[in-house]
Amino acid sequence: MIIAENLTKTFRDRKRGLVRAVNNLSLTCHPGQIFGLLGANGAGKTTTLRMLGTLLEPTHGNATIAGYDIRKNPQEVRRSIGFLSGSTALYGRLTAREMIQYFGQLNNLRGTDLSTRVDELIERLKIGEFENGRCDKLSTGQKQRVSIARSIVHRPPVMIFDEPTSGLDVMTSQTIMAFIEQCRIDNLTVVFSTHIMSEVERLCDRVAIVHHGVIAAEGSVDELRQLTGEAVMENAFLKIVHEMKDPHV
Amino acid sequence: MFSRSLSYVVFRKELRETLRDKRVLLGVIVSPLLVTPLILGTIFFFAGKKQMQKGEAILDIGIVEQAAFPELVQQLDDNATIKTKHFDTREEAITAVEKRIVRAVLVVSETARSDFQNDQSAGLEMIFTFANETSQSAKSRLQNVIKEFDKSALAKRIQTMALPESFAKPTSLSINNIATSESTGSFVLGLFLPYLIVISAAFGGIQTAFDLCAGEKERSTMETLLVSPASRSDIVQGKLFTIFTISLIASLCAITGIVGPLAFGLDFLKDSVGNQISINLTSVLAMLLIVVPLALFTSSLLLVISSFARNQKEAQTYILPFISIILLPAMLSTIFGAETQLYTAFIPVMNISLTMKQILGDLFDPLYFAISLGSSFLYAYIVMRIATAFFQRENILFRT
Repeated sequence: MIIAENLTKTFRDRKRGLVRAVNNLSLTCHPGQIFGLLGANGAGKTTTLRMLGTLLEPTHGNATIAGYDIRKNPQEVRRSIGFLSGSTALYGRLTAREMIQYFGQLNNLRGTDLSTRVDELIERLKIGEFENGRCDKLSTGQKQRVSIARSIVHRPPVMIFDEPTSGLDVMTSQTIMAFIEQCRIDNLTVVFSTHIMSEVERLCDRVAIVHHGVIAAEGSVDELRQLTGEAVMENAFLKIVHEMKDPHV
Repeated sequence: MFSRSLSYVVFRKELRETLRDKRVLLGVIVSPLLVTPLILGTIFFFAGKKQMQKGEAILDIGIVEQAAFPELVQQLDDNATIKTKHFDTREEAITAVEKRIVRAVLVVSETARSDFQNDQSAGLEMIFTFANETSQSAKSRLQNVIKEFDKSALAKRIQTMALPESFAKPTSLSINNIATSESTGSFVLGLFLPYLIVISAAFGGIQTAFDLCAGEKERSTMETLLVSPASRSDIVQGKLFTIFTISLIASLCAITGIVGPLAFGLDFLKDSVGNQISINLTSVLAMLLIVVPLALFTSSLLLVISSFARNQKEAQTYILPFISIILLPAMLSTIFGAETQLYTAFIPVMNISLTMKQILGDLFDPLYFAISLGSSFLYAYIVMRIATAFFQRENILFRT
């Protein structure tokens, strides 16, 4: 489970001065549920997910992930999450198997526990035919399967996806979408950021529309459509965003 | 402890990946072990060959006899390495030197022979050009012939005057070099080996350091690592020890690449250096010990640069100040010499270089060694702390 309360992140920019990237953002995401953060580029989605992943420390506010406080127990939080982003790459000079093993070891898997888990993931994600190939020689689709294996090698109860299909072709995107759906079936807590409406409509149980670092609206896809009176999610999104006053102005 | 920790997991992975990097293998292992000895061997070989050719070559020497001086001219004609050519005027001879028809000219003054016969000094003038190597050689050769002529003429004068041989030698100096062949060889080695080791330790880890941090940011693998349970300290330690290991390997390969060919069989290299090269085991161990804090210091410094840089290209732009920080004290060590004051043991990098000189030059000073080792570890620790602090700062790790 993820509970975020008033998460705020400010940073100082030479040109813009003090920038409030995320402003009092709160959300709750339950196991077996996919929670989507929908927003344009620069809306604050990645910063929010980075705070949840303990990569960035919140300026104000706090969150708990699988019961662990992100400020007090960052290491336990990281043990409890699988983090997959569209921009993250693999280590080019490691093989696919070594890559999965490495992240297993970082998550304290050792000996037969590790080898059994790696074998299981290689079989499940059909990595076998290229398991000993160096990651820099793999195709985009193959790399994505290794990335998925890497992110779940330690069986995390919470999955964080930061624009996981960004830059991927339709076929590879489908692999990721199917994987996210499988996470819900496996009763994992999933938070997922995107700016692609079709992904939201297909995957999300609840959606928060993020604009200028704040949640402009939250609900299921149907609830957001009803709220705006729009039949298409894209129009609903645009309406909510346009109606919202820029908090920085 | 380290073997069970996450920093060890990071270290093992980083080392494995680094050792698969052909650029690192080429720069750290292949180049110092094969290319450096090959280059040195080629330089020494051709330098020796050139020297031999210079010694064997017959040089054209011009003579201008304003009045005949057959005793001297005969001695010049008798020298097999000189071919004489006579000119009528001094100007004609100078033109011949300029046109490289002859390489040097001896001008015999009008009164030279009569002065010589009257036990006076015969007036001679030598003309050559410093701007030409062969002309310089001809000058040296001509000087030697005249020196021999003077020696035999002096002996005849002493004999004629019935004076003892010691008349022309007010002092009798015998020079005894008590250095063994081995210690002289080590001294020669001490002139350049410390400098080379410092450079290898400092620069051997550059590629690795930039790849492990700035490269990770550039390839977007850093985020994946940071979101793993490994703490930032674990990650820094793992990366730092990888850079440190590579720097040590680079130093070892540099030492082996230089000392190996000298110590095992390349006689023409030994001849060029002048003496037998040998280093005893204690010296090797002492040098290895002193290179450890140096490699730690430079590795930490490189990690600081690499952490700060957004990408490898940016990291490369910071390399010049880094080179200056390392090279300047290392170069200063050549000025200070091995016998130096104790305060220099506190100057980073230079103290390591001087300690190595002392070890190689049989001037080992336990106090200097201890201070040098201790202060270097302290500096390495301080820079390590800075590297760790840099890694904790999100505005540095996520600089865009």
